[in-house]
Amino acid sequence: MSKIEINNLTVDYIEKKKSFTALKNVSFSIEEGEFVSIIGSSGCGKSTLLSILEGINTATEGEILINGEPITGTGPDRGVVFQHYSLFPWMTARKNVAFGIKQVNKTATRAERYQLADGFLQKVGLEQFKNKYPSQLSGGMQQRVAIARALAMDTDILLMDEPFGAIDAKNRTILQELLLELWENATPRKTVVFVTHDIDEAILLSDKIVMMTANPGRVYREIRVPFDRPRNRAELVQTKEYTKFRNELLAMFYSDIVSKIGGEEVVL
Amino acid sequence: MNTQAKSPVSAAIAFDKKEKENSRLKSEFFRRYFRVVHILFAVLLLIQLLPDQLAAETYASYVIWFAVGVEVLTLVVSAFIKKPASLNLFVDIVAFIYGLLIAWVLATAKFNVLKAALFPPPGKVFWQFIGDYDKILTNIQSSVGIILQGYLLAIAVAIPLGLFLGWSARLGSAATYISKFLGAIPPIVYIPYGIALLPTFRSVSVFVIFLATFWPVLGGTMSGVMNVDKKTIDSAKVLNVGKFTMLFSVILPASLQQIFIGCNQGLTVSFVLLTSAEMIGAQSGLGYYIKNYSDFGDYTRTIVGLIVVGIVIVFISFIFNRIQKFLLRWKQ
Repeated sequence: MSKIEINNLTVDYIEKKKSFTALKNVSFSIEEGEFVSIIGSSGCGKSTLLSILEGINTATEGEILINGEPITGTGPDRGVVFQHYSLFPWMTARKNVAFGIKQVNKTATRAERYQLADGFLQKVGLEQFKNKYPSQLSGGMQQRVAIARALAMDTDILLMDEPFGAIDAKNRTILQELLLELWENATPRKTVVFVTHDIDEAILLSDKIVMMTANPGRVYREIRVPFDRPRNRAELVQTKEYTKFRNELLAMFYSDIVSKIGGEEVVL
Repeated sequence: MNTQAKSPVSAAIAFDKKEKENSRLKSEFFRRYFRVVHILFAVLLLIQLLPDQLAAETYASYVIWFAVGVEVLTLVVSAFIKKPASLNLFVDIVAFIYGLLIAWVLATAKFNVLKAALFPPPGKVFWQFIGDYDKILTNIQSSVGIILQGYLLAIAVAIPLGLFLGWSARLGSAATYISKFLGAIPPIVYIPYGIALLPTFRSVSVFVIFLATFWPVLGGTMSGVMNVDKKTIDSAKVLNVGKFTMLFSVILPASLQQIFIGCNQGLTVSFVLLTSAEMIGAQSGLGYYIKNYSDFGDYTRTIVGLIVVGIVIVFISFIFNRIQKFLLRWKQ
């Protein structure tokens, strides 16, 4: 049995009395401990798909099974990192993490929660900033806190919705490597669903890439990433295999777009 | 050789540095302690030497003691305050007070250009203030007690109710209109009905202040709750928070700024209402103190009352702002 099974998912929105199909018959599955990236141009429904996985939205048709059970709402088996606003601005970094812990572990005392929170903040390199409010932290630091909270909650599944999408290139690289290291070194490894529009990010991090296409949103290809772990970005990007694989993915990505705008004459 | 050649130069540099440091300290000292405000203080003392034009006692010594007290305070503050901008602000306010006192002394005691019955000299006001100290304290207690009781009661009821109503989509929209209608009625018009309903002046005042605070705080809380960013609510939802936690640990802090707008409005209206009500029907309180003595033509005490009301309101607003700043310290 797969950890997550997405069966024939269709989502229709009604906007200004017009129905709009965000997802159409989306099906694929994710194994336990697998890192899966969902990638596609904007409007392909990748974030809609994730919001259903999170339990915030509901599907019009079809279902998502986790451990064989259909999702009915948010659940303590899933931790989430959004692109923005994951943290509560009125709580310090430490309190944000401790608050997350409190929701899944009702028996821990306040001191135990803080101790646990401090440990995870240290893992993401923010121990000196634990008493800062989110408004006093940079975007990258805020995402580190959000990741620390999601990890501290110790859920089986980690859902990440373009978590590094709003961060500058240099910090994005650092955060990708941090996430890679934390995920690869954990036992057992968590099941991660990672939404992105960055091909390099998807290759570096994932076991499998699900490429989606827009209008209506559906799965275009599922591609397994053939590189061994633990991965090292600097070594990986120098290999011929990487370049070849990346070019194939790009070709796939763009052939889809070209067919969408409908013309051979389009040069990308 | 080398060190010998070097040392006079480095000594000269060190000397130069020391000189610079000295002159910097000197100018810093001047900036702190040599200010126009002290000249005004001297002027205020010097004009006391002019002969009095008033037949009655002017209590000049009270003005002098007050001025000396303020001056000592100014010097202490000058020595300890860190930011130049804060020092400037403080000193400017003191300068304004000195200026006002100079004009007041000159216009009353020294040249008697104002009507003596309506404009007592400042010394007499200070003297009266000290003489009436006990009475004033009792009246402050009475007024502030009523305000706190009505105000805190209103906040304690309005905030949870507002959270609940604002969070419940259906009740919320109806409640918004209802509270807008009821809140539009000026609370002062409830007074006659309140007098019929309730036994004492105090209970009527508490009731009216309760109403004056309740509607703005309820409205502020509901609009705060309804305007909480959906993303904030989503990130709480994915953490699986319970209903109670959602309401009090997420929605409440997220709408705090709007709630404070309501609380602020309630506080302002409460003071206006209470002092007005005290002038109409009370036997105690600051409004009563002012009204009572002006009825007897005792304008010294009337002025004392006005100043005390000002001080009390400024003090309470100051505390309120401190609390607001503390609770919203996470905002940039």
